[in-house]
Amino acid sequence: MTDPSSRRSAIAAGAAALAALLTPRAGRAQQRSTARLANATAPRRAAAVVAATENWKRSSLRLARRITFGLNPTETQRAVRLGYKAYLETQLHYAALDDAAVESVVAANWPMVNQQPSQLVQANQSTIGQQLTDATIYRQATSPRQLLERMVEFWNDHFTIYFNKVGYLMVADRRDVIRANALGNFGTLLKASAHSPAMLAYLDNNVNRNGSPNQNYAREIMELHSLGVNGGYTQNDVAELSRCLTGWSLSSQGAFAFNASLHDFNAKTVLGVTIPQRATTSGQGQQDMEQMLDVLIAHPSTATFIATRLLKFFLRPDPSAAQIAAVANAYTQTNGDIKAMLRVVFTESWLVAAPARYKRPYHLMLSALRASGATIPASATVLSAQRTLLTQMGQVMFDWETPDGYPDRVEYWSGNVLPRWNAMSTIANSSTGQIVVADTVFTRFGSTAAAILDTIDAMAFGGEMNSTLRDELTTYLTAGTINATRVRETLALALSSSAFQWY
Amino acid sequence: MSEIDHESCGCDEYAAMSRRRFVLQAAGASVFAAASPDWLPRVVLAPTASSRDIVVYVFMRGGADALSLCVPWGDTNYYSGRPTIAIPRPDASGTAKATALDNTMWGFAPAMLGLYPSYQAGQLLVIQGAGLTYNSRSHFDAQRFIEVGKAADPSISTGWLGRHLATVPPLSTAATLRGLSISQGMPNALEGAPKTLPIPDPSNYLLGGSSTTRAARQAWLNTDYGLAEEPVRSAALDAASTLTLLASLNISGYTPSNGATYPTTSFGRALRATAAMIRGEVGVEAVQVDVGGWDTHQSENPLSGTMSLLMTDFSNALGAFWTDILQGNGGYNVTLVAMTEFGRNVRENGSAGTDHGRGSCMFVMGKQIAGGRVYTNNWQPLARDNLADGQDVKVTVDHRDVLAEIVSKRLANPNLDLIFPGYTPTFQGVTK
Repeated sequence: MTDPSSRRSAIAAGAAALAALLTPRAGRAQQRSTARLANATAPRRAAAVVAATENWKRSSLRLARRITFGLNPTETQRAVRLGYKAYLETQLHYAALDDAAVESVVAANWPMVNQQPSQLVQANQSTIGQQLTDATIYRQATSPRQLLERMVEFWNDHFTIYFNKVGYLMVADRRDVIRANALGNFGTLLKASAHSPAMLAYLDNNVNRNGSPNQNYAREIMELHSLGVNGGYTQNDVAELSRCLTGWSLSSQGAFAFNASLHDFNAKTVLGVTIPQRATTSGQGQQDMEQMLDVLIAHPSTATFIATRLLKFFLRPDPSAAQIAAVANAYTQTNGDIKAMLRVVFTESWLVAAPARYKRPYHLMLSALRASGATIPASATVLSAQRTLLTQMGQVMFDWETPDGYPDRVEYWSGNVLPRWNAMSTIANSSTGQIVVADTVFTRFGSTAAAILDTIDAMAFGGEMNSTLRDELTTYLTAGTINATRVRETLALALSSSAFQWY
Repeated sequence: MSEIDHESCGCDEYAAMSRRRFVLQAAGASVFAAASPDWLPRVVLAPTASSRDIVVYVFMRGGADALSLCVPWGDTNYYSGRPTIAIPRPDASGTAKATALDNTMWGFAPAMLGLYPSYQAGQLLVIQGAGLTYNSRSHFDAQRFIEVGKAADPSISTGWLGRHLATVPPLSTAATLRGLSISQGMPNALEGAPKTLPIPDPSNYLLGGSSTTRAARQAWLNTDYGLAEEPVRSAALDAASTLTLLASLNISGYTPSNGATYPTTSFGRALRATAAMIRGEVGVEAVQVDVGGWDTHQSENPLSGTMSLLMTDFSNALGAFWTDILQGNGGYNVTLVAMTEFGRNVRENGSAGTDHGRGSCMFVMGKQIAGGRVYTNNWQPLARDNLADGQDVKVTVDHRDVLAEIVSKRLANPNLDLIFPGYTPTFQGVTK
């Protein structure tokens, strides 16, 4: 039981763990287990490890896991039928995927997401936030344009904005900046963001004035949106770019407005580019930043940074230099075409060799809604229960205060596992309410234990559930009378299982 | 705290897991050891435990403005650089002014007075000019470099506090939970720590669903995650044992001592939960609590606006923690350290705020801390020529010097080369 450890042995163990503790992220699993040797209590040792990717046989389904918010029988069949390349192209050409039914539900239930800032400025701000969240959840759970929605998620973090700071301005930003350009051109997207009242307000540029500039947005547009923190800019570049941005502001009705009276018309030098002094009456003050946006978009550091971010999000946390260079090259060759970059990111041989990625709470909830076949009754106008689950798991939408966006690392999220299990249980047991998982979904292949396991496998695992999990679930299902309650609990465990946490 | 305090506080349900009860239970239950749950300690805490502190690490995210947190009222450069957001000198009229911490230079804004009793008691040390010597004004680089314990080295991913826990014997050999963060995700500083979890609300930690099948479902999850890859496996198994632990503690019934009143903010609740975990004496030895919102680029207003509210929450929560856990002759062996990723420009910007700077301040609290003073190292007047890049307080105390002294002197961990790799700290006399 308690193996009393002396200081000396702990130090020895610490020395042994030194190398492991200080090694790169790639060796994290080994590093963590080695570090545990330093723990004076007896570590619990696994008899065997079932890899997250165990039994992931089809490359088309590996792709489907990455570019959707989770498998369901429909998506699984589509991916398998089309095969890897055709399925990817279908998702990239999203305009051909009919989402009219989805948009009609959104328009009926959450009309604010289609309104202009001038219509929303007087509205109840918390209602706006709820409608924006609910519409986003609904679209991302149900839209056939799954890769587009994943890119919306990606840019939502890349150009993150804290709803509580900007309120109603967020709606137009997420619609006209993010969603409109999510699979378009990066330069267009960056420019749209720079002209977005929500972004200007979030990063304090609405108060950036001649004489003593506010550097917040000038720094973050280079550090987080374009060049990256190691992209070659200096503190002086931040100061000079903030002068270019003086006067970029918004109107009382939430529209972009350049305020020449706040602009610094003197000469500037940013990233080696000289911006000439202009007459205050020239009407050209806004051109300073317009010119610098083109500089940022064409900068090689931007190509590298956006390539790295896409690879980390979709492929692996540790992309190779060659992979980064290949995606950055696609950016350069196409002047920032996002689809062209994604075609390289999703190189089939790369994805097949990539480790599984851990679902963030939002992704987990969406994948459970999709897998369970949950439906939202036509009368539902709020998804408050889903928002509560996100709160408990730690990823309320648009609620990350700082401009780096929600973390996307397993080390950050994996410790808060209890609310994840509870959310899966809530969803699997939702027979009435804002979302409904019907009893009939479980009897797709019949009512025997084997048939029910086949059903859960088809719903949540694309038919690739590993045999260890299947045995475990069978044991639970058959430990009591097989009734609706037992079946739902079995589904909850399947969704809570370690295998379902990865994509 | 005395036995009497425990019994008289009206919270006997909370007291169920105190150390004394542990000892009694362990002794009385020894013949039933086979039947007692795994988490129940079967040995009394090591006799040396009292010489080692529990550490509470507070990270103020956003780059907190050190010159508002600890006001240099003795320096006219402070007033000329901040025409609209300075705190008036202690000899100003009215109440909207600094309270002096010494005779010549430093003071607390009104919103910081929640910390004044601990300062007067000599248990709070304020360090000015502290921070990251690496020149970064990026929030995220600076936070990461501080938390991993080394700047600009992408090969290190574990945190300094995580490596501390990984290289020191447990405070209690029977502890099921050695570290925690009151948050929904694991902060970088704690990464690599064994038996450590982020727990957003320790008073509400239950496996949902039917109570009839709860035990069976928990057993199923333990089996399933027992075969999972790290770090998912350890996190799940630690969560399972923590369910049992927290169910026994009844944190929602916790009553602070000495009349301490925590703010009802998220930070106040987090420190209250931290105190409850400490009083539970279940072997928790490191707690991290983050408090955000310090990125005051505009309308900073340390007297009655944004910064004032932030400082009020901060100082009242820390003040309540001190009253609850450290004040008086009883109390616990705890060292608390609070810091931020960088300070802010000495001169305010055009929107009555401050942009990203360099040197900031650290707060260190504890019975064995050389407190009741503001410590600086070669502090210079805030004239432009004395500032880093002509705009910022210089970093004259490497934050690692402070943390390393605490690790060495209060946490009894000699592995400084592992915790702060590539750095030889110079102790600054933070501890007694």
